[in-house]
Amino acid sequence: MAEIAGDEAPTPPPPISGEVSTDPYTSIPASTGSNNPPLRTTKPGVKRLILTASVLLSFLVGLPFLLKSTEIHRSPLPSDAITGLAHRLHSAPPSFPCGLHAVFLRSVPDRSDASLTRRLEQSISAQLQLLPATSTAGNVSVSVTVESAGGCSSSSSSNVDSGWQCGTVTSADLVIGDEVFDELLHSALGSGRGDGSRVYTVVVVEVDDAEGMRVVVGKHRHAWVVGKADEVKAVSVIGKVFAKYFMNGGIEEGEAGIGKGEFMPVGSDGNVVLSFSLLNADPSDWVYDWDFEKIGERMLNPVVEALRPIAEINIESQVLYHTPKSSYSYSDDKLGGNVLSMGDIPFFVNSNEWHLDTSTSATGRSKVLQFVVYIPSARECPLYLQLPDGRLSKTNAFISPMWGGVLIWNPPDCSLDSKKTHGTRKKMSSQELMETIEIFIGQLRQLFGLKPSYLSQDMDMPTKFVVSEKGFTEWELDLLYRHHACSNLLSCLTTLESLSSLVRSLPRMIVMDEIGRQVELSLEAANLAQGNATLGISDSSAVHATRARALAEDAFFHPSIMSISYASIEHYFAIYMPFFAPVSLHVLLAAIKELKRYKAERAKYSAFLASQATSS
Amino acid sequence: MAAHSRGHPAMREREFSPAGTSPYWWIRPCAGPILFLSLLFLFLFLFTAAAASAAAPEEEKFTEELLLRPLPDRKALAHFHFRSSAPPAASVGRHHHLFPKAISQLVKKYHISELELSFTQGRWNYEQWGGFDPMSTNNAKPPGVELWAVFDLPLSEIDATWKNLTHTLSGLFCASINFLESSTAFSAPRWGFKLNEGNLRYGALPREAVCTENLTPWLKLLPCRDKAGIASLLYRPSIYKGYYHSQKLKLRSSQSLGIILDQTLTVVLQPNTVSGEQLHSNHGQLQPNWSMRHLFNRKLSGKCLVSKSSRVFIEVDKGIVDNVNKSGSDLSWSNEFFVLSNSPDKLIKGQNHVEIQSSFLYVYDASNYTEEKPLDVGITWKLPLVWTCTPSPFHASRFLMGSGNERGSIALSFMSTNLHKQISGSPTDCSIKAVIFQVVPWYVKVYYHSLEIFIDGSRKTVSEVVDKIHVIPSEDKLLPGTLEMLLRFPCSMQSGTLTLDFDKGFLHIDEYPPDANQGFDIPSALVSFPEFSSARSYPEIDPVLGSPLLENFQEDSVVKSYTEVLLVPLTTPDFSMPYNVITFTCTVLALYFGSLLNALRRRIGEEERELKKTVVILKKWQLLASILYRKFVDELF
Repeated sequence: MAEIAGDEAPTPPPPISGEVSTDPYTSIPASTGSNNPPLRTTKPGVKRLILTASVLLSFLVGLPFLLKSTEIHRSPLPSDAITGLAHRLHSAPPSFPCGLHAVFLRSVPDRSDASLTRRLEQSISAQLQLLPATSTAGNVSVSVTVESAGGCSSSSSSNVDSGWQCGTVTSADLVIGDEVFDELLHSALGSGRGDGSRVYTVVVVEVDDAEGMRVVVGKHRHAWVVGKADEVKAVSVIGKVFAKYFMNGGIEEGEAGIGKGEFMPVGSDGNVVLSFSLLNADPSDWVYDWDFEKIGERMLNPVVEALRPIAEINIESQVLYHTPKSSYSYSDDKLGGNVLSMGDIPFFVNSNEWHLDTSTSATGRSKVLQFVVYIPSARECPLYLQLPDGRLSKTNAFISPMWGGVLIWNPPDCSLDSKKTHGTRKKMSSQELMETIEIFIGQLRQLFGLKPSYLSQDMDMPTKFVVSEKGFTEWELDLLYRHHACSNLLSCLTTLESLSSLVRSLPRMIVMDEIGRQVELSLEAANLAQGNATLGISDSSAVHATRARALAEDAFFHPSIMSISYASIEHYFAIYMPFFAPVSLHVLLAAIKELKRYKAERAKYSAFLASQATSS
Repeated sequence: MAAHSRGHPAMREREFSPAGTSPYWWIRPCAGPILFLSLLFLFLFLFTAAAASAAAPEEEKFTEELLLRPLPDRKALAHFHFRSSAPPAASVGRHHHLFPKAISQLVKKYHISELELSFTQGRWNYEQWGGFDPMSTNNAKPPGVELWAVFDLPLSEIDATWKNLTHTLSGLFCASINFLESSTAFSAPRWGFKLNEGNLRYGALPREAVCTENLTPWLKLLPCRDKAGIASLLYRPSIYKGYYHSQKLKLRSSQSLGIILDQTLTVVLQPNTVSGEQLHSNHGQLQPNWSMRHLFNRKLSGKCLVSKSSRVFIEVDKGIVDNVNKSGSDLSWSNEFFVLSNSPDKLIKGQNHVEIQSSFLYVYDASNYTEEKPLDVGITWKLPLVWTCTPSPFHASRFLMGSGNERGSIALSFMSTNLHKQISGSPTDCSIKAVIFQVVPWYVKVYYHSLEIFIDGSRKTVSEVVDKIHVIPSEDKLLPGTLEMLLRFPCSMQSGTLTLDFDKGFLHIDEYPPDANQGFDIPSALVSFPEFSSARSYPEIDPVLGSPLLENFQEDSVVKSYTEVLLVPLTTPDFSMPYNVITFTCTVLALYFGSLLNALRRRIGEEERELKKTVVILKKWQLLASILYRKFVDELF
């Protein structure tokens, strides 16, 4: 065997170049029994190693380029700004600074000096500290004016300016009636104030011959107290009126209402459609029609105008037929009609038969509030709602938050023989329609979180509220604006936060530039709203907050977000795997093999060098 | 990778279920009488009372009518017609009493001056059911959905408005009308469909299936829905069992008219007669006896209470009238050929343009009937009667020629029904005009220059027959091809054929519908004969009768007929193809790359040596084996 091994032994290293392939490979074969490693006499070449390494390297270098070129388009969302806004809103919820101006109209000529006004001011401030604060109202600055026959003095400590003009109103003006006095006060206070900050005025009119105290809350931003009162009593009344009504809308602790976690019934794009429907449950008994376009529009337009900073309101009406209710009522002889108990009300709205369609003006994410007049059929007429305590509801109506309201209207000929009226078309009289709309305005107030009407026994003295033709008084609107701005800002923030966390959690999601732009605009509007809130400009803050929310929702519900499924990671792999898996396998294996071989050959060469050294 | 953004901001009507959306239902008694507003209301009350007495404006109206007609092929036609109208008023779209709010908002929002939307299942049988009466010209519609609208808008805004309109309608009627949104799906004919100033858009979806989900929203537009009145006859299993079903909505709106909404439903039914009567019909060709109960499984119990008028007509065709007149008896409701089950309230004679006498109408007023005394009008035949309906001047049909997935041709054939001979005794050199309107999707690439015309078998030059032609050629993935053509056929022509060659295009893989192998539909072509009018006149009725159905019949409308829908099979790709291509290409590339790499790092000399070595080793083994063998043999022997 040794011979054979010797036969094929030494190929001399080729003279030309370092051609590695020729592999100078001195085999001093081990077949004879010696286990010496094979030796090589030349340095192992690196050409192939460099080649495979460069291929591998180019692959590694190309990888980031590939990833970059196949990257999907993601508009950068200003997540820092969003967290910043969240931080600001959580640490310091928007609060609207407002002012309280107390005016004492004294009938007796009195020496009114600065010390008196300062004292009064301090006691009112102290009084306000005691009363529960509201979430939306910021710090209250107080000022006092004492006006008497002797003169007029104002506290100068704070910069609250209600525009009170001394001498325009006297206690003698009270005889003209509350509504007119209200307007008189309004003009005395000067309606056009520029700074936008809300100043509420409580006027204490001292009348000697009055038997007690009486409070009247006007429809603008003022109230007045009439009667003979000592300072302590007057201060406590001022504090109460301000905190209870001007700040909280008369809603007690524990009562549901504005600012108590309820949502505003306003679509996220700031539009609301009030859809009024007259439902004839069974036209074979009687058919009623109404003149809504004339009376309804005229009555509701002031309301629409008043609520404009909060919502763009459209009014629509229709008459529907064959719309039975879907809950059962039972006949109660004692109450003289059919009675629907409170437990049946959740089933009253018959969504199968009542085609209270949405409207084309309620596109996108706007809200439709349904107001339904239900005319019972002859069989179930008259139909009354029974309260839990057994009494009948006086308005015969109920609301469903965020949906609207229902009113059961029993036609006047209800108790008559139904056959006599068979098939005739009648009209609701204007008087009745107006009463109906009055109830609906009350329901709208409730839906917006205000009280439908105020109880006069809330205060411990007779209280009167001057009503506004708008349905909402100015101080109520302030309250709504404040609350609306806050809730919209929070909702806008929630939406933006969800959007940014969604985008972060789905790395393969396409984010269009438009979404990024909408988010930026929304943040901008939110910042404006916040800025206006700190200045106390509640209506403009409400407008900006609505805009911020609408833009945030637009970004969140952008149709391009749907395209996520078209750029999934599976898709990506399915396209690139068939090429890169086999090719990279080849490259890697080649590189590893070459490296191994190079190492082995080098070991042989170094062994050869070592043996050379020892032999020499 | 390309970013696909699907899903347009579709304006869909939202179904709204109050009980579902708001989990909290509370009663909140409005405590005490509401004090505020009272002053103002008093004032308002006085004011409105004064205003109300000043003017009594026009009111919204609703009428309902039903026409029943026996057909020569032992079937019965029922045509429901509901009209709601709203007078022009500022409150249109906001305050309504009878008129559907959704429709008026649609009209207002999209500035529609005319719109017609039809959902049809089955094809109108022009030979058997007539092609020359108002029913066939106005209410025979192509299968599937057809929508056309005329807008009162500047021309540049029309396409965008049309797109929004299709989305709104598809939401309103639970149908895929939104597929008409793409510019490849609609066209703007100038005169072939209806004369207009470029503000008309036409689109058709031949494959849209029509069922109750389309009928329910349609019924929702009626004030009584199907709870009362004539619409209560619409028993779904009966009407969807029919041979032809076409549900139509037609809108007209103008400053002076207000909005007029005509809703019609035309069904052709096989009377559901009991077996005893069918036995009776065995001897002789006696028509089946039927009544409303047989047709609809319902009887009519009174009118919809808010409707102004509610009538049922039974129409007897000219064929029957002629037969009865020939026999010498008069056309009372009970004659020697047939008897109607109820005595009619009125009898109306109808005339068409060419004939003196064409049909008879027996009128029933539904308001005279109640729940206790329902109307179940029907017809009982006494003698066998055979008659035919008046056909249109030519019977038009369309078919495909050629085979394979590459090319083919469309042929339109006209067969004369010799109507002109009956009408005018025809001088031989007269001619009949015919207008063809046809929309072809872009993937059927029609070569309009290849138009060939054959009359009675002999080829004619185009200029001999075509008076006027207007072609909008198709653009790939952009525009469908539209052909409007005015032809003049000689009266003596018995058969005429037009052929057009086409190539089949290729679609992008995303553009194929889910059932691509079924083929692609080319919408029906419309053939109209402008010289023939199907209008009827009713000289005996006073205009105060106010029947919108008869008003529609009296309207001047040209005779029209829709051809068949064509089904073109296109080459359908293997839908996994993109991935196959990717995989295959990648495999080839990987192979190439791998072998290149191998070739680069190959050591040929070393391999040869290795090879030699293996040969040597083999030799060694052979040697060893032979030695062993020898030893073994030696030991053995």
